Amino acid sequence: MSDADPQPLGSPPASPQPPDPVLARRNRLRLSLVWTVPIIAVIVGAVLVVRALLQTGPEIEIEFRSAEGLEAGRTEVRYKEVMVGRVKAVNLSPDRQRVLVRVGLVKSAAGLAVEDTRFWVVRPRIGTAGVSGLSTLLSGSYIGVDAGTSEESQKLFTGLDTPPLVLRGEPGRSFVLRADDLGSLDVGSPVYHRRVRVGRVVGYSLDERGRSLLVKVFVEAPHDPLVTTRSHFWNASGVDLSLSAAGLTVHTQTLASVLAGGIAFADGPEEEGDAPTAPAKAGAEFRLYATQRDAMAPEDGDPMRVRMVFRQSLRGLEVGAPVELLGVSLGTVRDIELQSDPRGGTGSPLKLEVRADIYPKRLGRLREAYVGADRALADRQLLADLVGQGLRAQARTGNLLTGQLYVALDFVAPKPGGPPRGRGFDPKAEVPLLPTVPGTLAELQPQLAEVVSRISKVRFDEIGSELQGTLAALRGTGTSLQGTLASAEGMIKQLTPTAQQALADVRQTLAAAQTALKNADASLTDPQAPLQRGAQQTLAEVQRAAQALRVLADYLQRHPESLLRGKPADAVEAPK
Amino acid sequence: MTAATDAATLGLRGCEVCALVIESPADGAQGGGDLRCPRCGHVLHLRKPESLERTAAYLLTAVVLYIPANLLPVMSTSSVLGRDSHTLAGGIHDLWVSGARELALIVFIASIAVPLLKIAALVLLAWTSHRRSTWRQAERAALYRLVETVGHWSMLDVFVVVLLVGMVHFGVLAGVEPEAGLLAFGAVVVATMLASASFDPRLIWPAQESADERR
Repeated sequence: MSDADPQPLGSPPASPQPPDPVLARRNRLRLSLVWTVPIIAVIVGAVLVVRALLQTGPEIEIEFRSAEGLEAGRTEVRYKEVMVGRVKAVNLSPDRQRVLVRVGLVKSAAGLAVEDTRFWVVRPRIGTAGVSGLSTLLSGSYIGVDAGTSEESQKLFTGLDTPPLVLRGEPGRSFVLRADDLGSLDVGSPVYHRRVRVGRVVGYSLDERGRSLLVKVFVEAPHDPLVTTRSHFWNASGVDLSLSAAGLTVHTQTLASVLAGGIAFADGPEEEGDAPTAPAKAGAEFRLYATQRDAMAPEDGDPMRVRMVFRQSLRGLEVGAPVELLGVSLGTVRDIELQSDPRGGTGSPLKLEVRADIYPKRLGRLREAYVGADRALADRQLLADLVGQGLRAQARTGNLLTGQLYVALDFVAPKPGGPPRGRGFDPKAEVPLLPTVPGTLAELQPQLAEVVSRISKVRFDEIGSELQGTLAALRGTGTSLQGTLASAEGMIKQLTPTAQQALADVRQTLAAAQTALKNADASLTDPQAPLQRGAQQTLAEVQRAAQALRVLADYLQRHPESLLRGKPADAVEAPK
Repeated sequence: MTAATDAATLGLRGCEVCALVIESPADGAQGGGDLRCPRCGHVLHLRKPESLERTAAYLLTAVVLYIPANLLPVMSTSSVLGRDSHTLAGGIHDLWVSGARELALIVFIASIAVPLLKIAALVLLAWTSHRRSTWRQAERAALYRLVETVGHWSMLDVFVVVLLVGMVHFGVLAGVEPEAGLLAFGAVVVATMLASASFDPRLIWPAQESADERR
């Protein structure tokens, strides 16, 4: 098209004149200038294409169980929250069992497409341990990546169903805890050491036979050496309330663990014969105790199984009830079984056999006297000797309100008719039998029955009829009382004349007394009587004394100073 | 068109700005400089200089840029839900799928059909003019007028995106950003406009003698 010369159009009548070359030169210059525009466009386009090509990395395929939340063209692939790729297509696998997700990685993330890289879908997880993936609530799920370290590149991957337990290269150590149940633990629950969060639960699974639970924990560096061969782990979830003589004690880890659950660990009590404490190896297995007290209690050692036969109701005795020796917990009840009782000692054809586990180690120093090659046998011998000294098992009420029973081992004075001492405990038996005595309540029951039967022996009927007879007799007594009163009246009547005479005598006596008093009166009131005269004289004296006092008072009123100075000599003369 | 003739054969030139008609000077008088209108000073020429060549160059530019304009995203919207890039075709598809078929049609016509048809029309015009073809000259002239008219509206997408970018600015909540594709698309539109502007419709009507020959 560059040959398309506008010259013939622009000036048709042009002739080959000298100006032509000038014009042509100018035209060519313009021509090249105009064509720079498409050239620049091509260059820009090429740059864009090259840049796009440079940015596209390898394409990989990931197999997932489900494509939930994955969207072609939108779902991102993120490594450490950095976008490293994007889902290009989501297809079913040929056998329709799984989902194939085609992902285009960016160039810089090409190194992620290696053998041991792991992929999983990040979805919102709201758990007690916290909220994760919250941003995906709004933005939708994305595919998380844990970069592999392998050199082998790979194109097809199998996606994980759950986020990986521990990201590769994270410093720290994993351990396995064997627990009876999960409690309130969950993936992500914290692991505490001295109430400092040092790790987390990264997963759990039932063991092959479903008997116990394996909880996998990860203790982060630099705390991982704190887990030693002696470490004891316990479930620190919730609140551990204990009421003791020291008062109410509340054991908790952090408030978060109260709500969300958690695991704590500490070094257990030191025991002789243990290997020196050393950091535990990664993957080491520990037991997860239910409480801190269980965890920190000294090792119980192997239990000794004993059985006890009770011929009474054991309502309230449960499996797990304590077996105590003088209040020291020795073990727990394992099972309770009904058995036929051919001897029929109490008339009941049945008896109850209680099997219990006793931990001889809790007997402590008592065991020191019994040393033998066979530790278990020595312990049984110790128990046999204790039984010989009167040790008996008894079902006692532990809680009056709930009626919980426990098995108490106590020394009982032998009853006259009881079995001879030491009978029944055979240290060599497979499961030795521990002799029992009836429980406190069971003992009380026959006594109560006796009291009741004695009461029932009382003949209330006879007492009633006798009482009636007594009352009848009492009535007879009443009539005789009436007679007595009548005779008393008669006697009073007989007494009357004598009494009249006695009254006349009294009157005479009174008249005599009157005259005597008159005489006395005369002697007092007569003015000539010496008493009267003496009294008159005395009164006159008193009158004079009063006059003198009045004169003194008058003088003192006028001359009060005389009290201090005394009377002036002449002044006394003058008024006189 | 019986006595059809043109300015060149009459030796006349018209000023494009003030419509003054002047006599074409003798060829030799042009010298090295431009002819200017004695009244308004505008450069005078019989036909637009290098019209076809320029048109071709701009058309080529438009064709080249049309590829990234459609492949690259024209804008990206970011919201709390994430970040999305939209290409022209993707946006139309989204509109169509979400039920706004009329809107999808409008956007399709404005941003894909019109540029394509414009490029095609200009290629046709330039090619036929280059061949000095007399085929359907009146229709071709009408086509050119149509291209010129429609050209005013082809920047619709660019305007929409620019408006969105200016208006949707809610920090982290939402935002719209132009992408490289928009630049390419704008360049396509500009290139087609330049192409149609540099095309001289008078070239549809080649010199009379050839037309007469046909007749």
